Amino acid sequence: MSRQHSNEDQREIAHPEQYVFTPPIDIYETDAGLVLYADLPGVSVGSLELQVQDNKLTLLGKVEPQIPEGARPLHREYEVGNFLRSFILSGEIVHSEIEAKLANGVLRIFLPKAPKAEPRRIQVNTG
Amino acid sequence: MPIFRWEQSWNPLRDLEREVDRLIQGVEFSVQGIRMPRQYPAVNIFELDHEYLITAELPGMQVQDLELTIANGVLTLKGHRNPPVIDDGEIAEERFRRQERTFGEWQRSITIPDRISDDRLSAEFNEGILKIHLPKLEEEQARQIPVSSGE
Repeated sequence: MSRQHSNEDQREIAHPEQYVFTPPIDIYETDAGLVLYADLPGVSVGSLELQVQDNKLTLLGKVEPQIPEGARPLHREYEVGNFLRSFILSGEIVHSEIEAKLANGVLRIFLPKAPKAEPRRIQVNTG
Repeated sequence: MPIFRWEQSWNPLRDLEREVDRLIQGVEFSVQGIRMPRQYPAVNIFELDHEYLITAELPGMQVQDLELTIANGVLTLKGHRNPPVIDDGEIAEERFRRQERTFGEWQRSITIPDRISDDRLSAEFNEGILKIHLPKLEEEQARQIPVSSGE
């Protein structure tokens, strides 16, 4: 390997570029609410931040470097970075009952819908 | 003198592609389809003092659905990813508001260097990241070859 190449590698380690990716998601609707899946490889429970503010749900997944120090890259097809995405929630979602689960690099969020009020008959009386 | 082969004439760029692949990959590894989009999974390869390390992002995969095999210097990664289900049934298409993730079977082969200790290969799968450790063989001692005079 040339000298110039190894200098480049050192610079990369000294100032790692911060990548931020938009993770791919699936959203489907059930009678009870919405289910959202997001692919977040490398994100652990401790490095995931989920936040609901006003009507916006934001997910930020931080990814730690996956390789030991001193590893020399030979071939690179993907970059490692953090994941960020936000969603506008419709008014029918009950914010306080949102549930999230993370397994094998996939986040599953359940967004429950407020139960629709039963139509109520209003009695009309004659005056 | 160049020899023309009929069966290759439909793809005159193939030899050039191979040559470019070879240059990109260096001598040690050859990864099939390097310039083709959507090779799954994407892999990164690193060299350390005592081993080579291959990493791949495989979110949503289960360990039992991953298969790693090695034969004739080719490491093959194989697996399948199941789509989400509701009550063990498929989710009807009309329920989806967004579908950006992909599912199904995949396979990828990577040619690995000769100087690998096959029986000490190991792999780990955490948080959707697969890491394959390929320990280097210890340097063989230079062997003296006695030269005898013919007599």
